[in-house]
Amino acid sequence: MKMTTQKIRKIKDIVMHFMIYLTLLIAILPPFSVMFEVIKRGFMAIDLDFFIKTTPTVGEAKGGIANAIQGTLITIGLASLIGVPIGVISGIFLSEYGENKFSTIIRFFNEVLNGVPSIIIGIFSYTLISPITGFSLISASFALAIIMIPIVTRTTEEALKLIPTMIREAAIALGIPRWKTILHIVLKGAKKSIITGILLAIARISGESAPILVTMGYWRWWFHGLNRPVANLALNIFLFANSPFENWVILAWGSALILILMILGINIITRMLMRGSF
Amino acid sequence: MIRIIDSKLREISAVIHKMGDLAYQAISIAIKENFYNGNSYHKIKEISDILLTLNDQIEDKAFEIIARFQPVASDLRTIKSYMKISYDFTRLGRYALDISYVNKHFGGLKGCNGWIFSYAMEMSEKVLNTIKISIEALKKQNIEIAISISEIEKDIDKIYFEFLHKIIEEKNVESRIIVSSILTIRHLERIADHATYICESIIYALTGVKEFLR
Amino acid sequence: MSIYKIEIENLNAWFGSKQVLKNINIKIKDRVVTAIIGPSGCGKTTLLRCINRMHELVPGARISGKVFFNGVNIYNNGVDPVQIRRKIGMVFQKPNPFPMLSIYDNVAIGPKLNGINDKRTLDSIVKRSLILVGLWDEVKDELNKPGTSLSGGQQQRLCIARALAIEPEVLLMDEPTSALDPISASKIETLIRKLAEDYTVIIVTHNIQQAARVSDYIAFLYLGELVEYGATKDIFEKPKKKLTEEYITGKFS
Repeated sequence: MKMTTQKIRKIKDIVMHFMIYLTLLIAILPPFSVMFEVIKRGFMAIDLDFFIKTTPTVGEAKGGIANAIQGTLITIGLASLIGVPIGVISGIFLSEYGENKFSTIIRFFNEVLNGVPSIIIGIFSYTLISPITGFSLISASFALAIIMIPIVTRTTEEALKLIPTMIREAAIALGIPRWKTILHIVLKGAKKSIITGILLAIARISGESAPILVTMGYWRWWFHGLNRPVANLALNIFLFANSPFENWVILAWGSALILILMILGINIITRMLMRGSF
Repeated sequence: MIRIIDSKLREISAVIHKMGDLAYQAISIAIKENFYNGNSYHKIKEISDILLTLNDQIEDKAFEIIARFQPVASDLRTIKSYMKISYDFTRLGRYALDISYVNKHFGGLKGCNGWIFSYAMEMSEKVLNTIKISIEALKKQNIEIAISISEIEKDIDKIYFEFLHKIIEEKNVESRIIVSSILTIRHLERIADHATYICESIIYALTGVKEFLR
Repeated sequence: MSIYKIEIENLNAWFGSKQVLKNINIKIKDRVVTAIIGPSGCGKTTLLRCINRMHELVPGARISGKVFFNGVNIYNNGVDPVQIRRKIGMVFQKPNPFPMLSIYDNVAIGPKLNGINDKRTLDSIVKRSLILVGLWDEVKDELNKPGTSLSGGQQQRLCIARALAIEPEVLLMDEPTSALDPISASKIETLIRKLAEDYTVIIVTHNIQQAARVSDYIAFLYLGELVEYGATKDIFEKPKKKLTEEYITGKFS
């Protein structure tokens, strides 16, 4: 059969389309299947007890993860309180005043810090903070804050850099002092992107279990003070998932679902609050 | 750098030069006929009409250039002068026709001799000279040549006034000749004026200075 | 009191080691439109930015010489550039309204950050500025829309309103219409002539015809030097320097 160039091209076209859709499918499949599994198995774990009781001891029937939810929220909250301001201000500094050697060095170290495994950061916090406070919430939050900072710094700097120079020039030409320009105009314009960066960082630290283990360890009860440990969802998942106790495994799946929903929730609420500002 | 306006300016320039030659031709014929025989009224009328048409063309072209190119500085002055010079050449054509009219209806200076003849002769030569100077200054875009018309123009004025004073005293000449000669010499004087205007326009176009050469 | 709003004395400007302005001496009259013309790269924008002390914001940029504004050298030691910029406003080539602010806020932000907080005062300032630039009727029902929701010509007028809201004495305009369509450009040219009744306007333009239409005085810059400065009528009928003649008749690009 004689194939014209026209026909060959058409076949190539169809094949390429097919390949593209196939690879798309391959790319989408894993995250979707993960989500599906988590939802399916986590759903089975949810009942009223789940949200009320604390984690059960060995052998105890059922139980819940209420304390873990509380603990995770407090930990993330405290870490953000430390990490976000430092990250944002560093980002502002690098973007607005950062055309010198000093900034290049800071950026370099920031990138390095970004790549440091979280367990090492956990150990760092353990050696620094824990001698003073013992295994504690403070120590854990400190570690998580350090993990947050490079992410927030980088995303803040990039968000600010997206604001065109001529916007700053227009503001300066109006006789607005530099710092007011940054505060009222540049930051305002980059608000959405910066917040997205912060949410990204929060999502990241929500899932960290290694530094939690090293600085705080496992905790079975409610919040008992900043200088004491507190329960943590990610750590619980890590500890319960492969345990021989069936109720623990179920709790692990439930925790996973709750963790994902929590991060989703923080995202949605924040975006709802941001709605209406351009 | 060659500009679009340059070719347009050259078009006008070519027409102006043609007008100059035509005006000179018309006046020469009229003057010669004045002293010697001839019947060139129609020919001169033809030339005068051509000059009027060319003047209209130049006006149109000049306004087209202004509308399209918004000329400035020397270009603007050049266009302004072209329009004036074109009008002046047209006037020269009309005066040639007027002199020819005098010839046709009053016989010109035929049959006259003596001082009237020589004054008229001298005046005619000088006036033709002024036209030559204005045409040359235009062709060569030369300020010195344009300025040189001033001397001759002064001479022409002198001859003109002398003539008028003398002819009032004159008792021994036919009235026909008196009328012809006064009209002719009057026209010649106006021709010289317009030639001078042309030179003033040339100087303005080149330097921007409005100098009076009279 | 001098009739000259701005007097520039022996101004030189550099970007690093490259000198872009050489010994500029010029006296700008009050309440007229002065146009600065010249081929690309001749220093027109730099000259403008030396007047409101924005040139020095570029790393490595510096100047020597004096710029007198209302008789006082703005480069004196004690002078605060921020204050200067409140009195000498600037409008840029590409319209740049603040995208994160509404039309109202765009105009109000200048006065607001200068300490005016009373809503009624701000309302009247915004209204006055928008009326001045001929935008009020077009936007009065949409003041809360973002500044960038307007067309190009409207955006530029918004930027002019923004600059006028802080009540400067001088308005610097850097090729304000070169990014606009002819009709918008024409509206802004008419506006510029109107503004000259109350403000000193200095406009940089590479459009010679625009300079002819809009200005009372023209400064011709070439390779960083002031070649000629005079009344527009004189320069366009009979320029004194051959270089000026060649530039405005298009004999060199």
